[in-house]
Amino acid sequence: MAVCPNGHDSASDDFCDTCGMRIGSPPAGSSSAASGHGAPGGAPGSWPAPGPASADEPCPNCATPRTGQFCEACGYNFAGPRFSPGPPPPGRGPAGPAPGGGYSQPVPSSRPQPPPPGPGTGGYSWSQPVPSAPSSPAPSAATLPPPARQAADGAPSMSSFPYPQATWTAVVGADRAYYERVQAVTGPEGAAVTFPSYYAERRFQLVGNQMRIGRRSVSRGLAPEIDLTGPPADPGISRLHAVLIATQDGNWAVLDPGSANGTLVNGAEIGVGDQISLHDGDRINLGAWTAITVHRGLGNSHPAGGRRHVTTDDPRH
Amino acid sequence: MTDSGFTVDVDQNQYLPEGGRDVSAVVTVTSGPDVAITAPGAGAGSAEIIIIDCSGSMDYPPTKMSQARAATAAAIDVVRDGVGFAVVAGTSTAWPVFPPDGSMAVASPASRAAAKQAVGALRANGGTAIGKWLGLAREIFAGYPAQLRHAILLTDGKNQHETPEQLVAELGQCEGVFSCDCRGVGTDWEVSELRTVSSALLGTVDIVPDPAGLAADFAAMMENAMGKQVADVSLRVWTPQTATLKFVKQVAPAVEDLTGRRTQLSPQAGDFPTGAWGPGESRDYHVGVEVAAAGLGQEMLAARISLVAGTEVLGQGLVRAIWTDDEALSTKINARVAHYTGQAELADAIQEGLEARKQGDEETATAKLGRAVALAHQSGNEDTAKLLAKVVDVVDVEAGTVRLKKKVEDADEMALDTRSTKTVRVKK
Repeated sequence: MAVCPNGHDSASDDFCDTCGMRIGSPPAGSSSAASGHGAPGGAPGSWPAPGPASADEPCPNCATPRTGQFCEACGYNFAGPRFSPGPPPPGRGPAGPAPGGGYSQPVPSSRPQPPPPGPGTGGYSWSQPVPSAPSSPAPSAATLPPPARQAADGAPSMSSFPYPQATWTAVVGADRAYYERVQAVTGPEGAAVTFPSYYAERRFQLVGNQMRIGRRSVSRGLAPEIDLTGPPADPGISRLHAVLIATQDGNWAVLDPGSANGTLVNGAEIGVGDQISLHDGDRINLGAWTAITVHRGLGNSHPAGGRRHVTTDDPRH
Repeated sequence: MTDSGFTVDVDQNQYLPEGGRDVSAVVTVTSGPDVAITAPGAGAGSAEIIIIDCSGSMDYPPTKMSQARAATAAAIDVVRDGVGFAVVAGTSTAWPVFPPDGSMAVASPASRAAAKQAVGALRANGGTAIGKWLGLAREIFAGYPAQLRHAILLTDGKNQHETPEQLVAELGQCEGVFSCDCRGVGTDWEVSELRTVSSALLGTVDIVPDPAGLAADFAAMMENAMGKQVADVSLRVWTPQTATLKFVKQVAPAVEDLTGRRTQLSPQAGDFPTGAWGPGESRDYHVGVEVAAAGLGQEMLAARISLVAGTEVLGQGLVRAIWTDDEALSTKINARVAHYTGQAELADAIQEGLEARKQGDEETATAKLGRAVALAHQSGNEDTAKLLAKVVDVVDVEAGTVRLKKKVEDADEMALDTRSTKTVRVKK
């Protein structure tokens, strides 16, 4: 999850999903926010955090409270003219990935100085600001925790979710350990699949008799309840990959109806057509890097990053 | 070339002056030599319907009806084995000619022969209600599973036996169900009427002045339809929250305004239909966005253009905006944007000029067609220049000074009108 100069969370890491501003260009006053670490060279997945916005400062144009470099309401540029072509300079701002979901749901933010909630527009609503988890200096790809983990670790806003008792939730995230296992056994065509540099953790409440897992297909008339279309898109997921089925006892089971690349539950591949009962915290792996962790009830939700060890060594791919 | 076989290239001047808001770009979409993401055995995924006008006027002259039968037979011969096909006859009503039960036949030597026999028995008698013909075709398509659905419509007259509203209502139902290429034979049909049909149904429209030319034209159209591999491709245009998408137009090979065809995905994104694609095709689109001005030196994504088929993203291009105080950068005019702006104006000038001429407003007609002559000349659109020369006498091609010809063949005027939207390309 990248953050643009205007302070929007963006699933795209080149330009902001909301306002289109180039991600990585300097926000107002950011030079003073340099703290000596961050991925050098502006590699994908790195971004500067926006500078300390003066929360009290109203927009001189329309009086909307400031939330970033540009006014959320009218687009006024608080920073005024400044130029910074190319990638951001190294060593700017806290380097932790901003966690959170897509722009259609409240997301936690890693902004160092949280501004007051701005007026939400177009379905986008500002998150409850949370302190960002301190990240280690110069995180490499190998040490970078899955973004989803941070989201779960530091997201008090989740506790406000009104989960009724015995409600099941599926949390979708990207799983690097699983990805590397898949990579280890796949041929050259798998090598083209890269692990996403960020992934917006997504939550689906399990309702009804079944929840299909797959990718939306207009041509096939498929709209799976758990739609993993992306971005980022996991190319290994079938249009109809698996189905979560409500069982008599109020719990859920998973069934793979014959996906191209198979499905794992807690690291073990499940047979096509087998209905596997699920327990709180069980993890389903599918595609090239996707993990779906299921949670029963509330209060003991696990991060999607994977606490259970993956023991499989032969995921079909 | 990407994995999908499609490329999306963006050509624009990305530099804006301080406070500048208008961003314009030409997006070129090209399909590779072996695009095919339709189910294997692409032919099985296709369906074709030939809609043939059997109104009474098709007997004047009698060669019209006989040539229409021959053309339909020629098109049937081109339908590949395994492709679903049907023939519909239209008057003030519509009926299935083959298969006679209103279903879709699967092409084989036997079914093609049976279809040609049924077509051979067609006689002209009755009126013209194009909406009803399209409605029957739509119902036949609906009963047959195929990804690529295409029709050929032949008429020789005006849509007299239903109201324009009825035709528009039917077109609304047909949009997205199938594409349709329209042909007018003779000179008694209405160019604007068939253009309405072909535009709505993402097809072409053209005049076949001499019925003898029908067979070759039908075979060519069917051949082209058989080459299509990828159905229902859309341009997905994302714009920033503060921006307004002004227009999306196809500008090559012909001008087709798609702005009103948006399917809303979110307040910031919409899909615009481009129809079906075959291998080795290239089309240009002109996209105009009004953005909220940002500060000097800032860079903004004015539009993210994705080519999508179903949920498959086939390619992507970025339209940018960078604000600069360097006037040499910001005032530079992108040659292709300018070229297509001129080509769109050319099409408008021709259509408005011909309309004025019909209304007897010679002054406006002379001015518009003169402007068209100059634009066609400047842009190197020789085909259109030749068609214009049959309607006006050119005095000064550079200045666009012309005199209206006293006597103009109906067929020449209609050919100019139907082909006014054809464009030529410029090299990058």
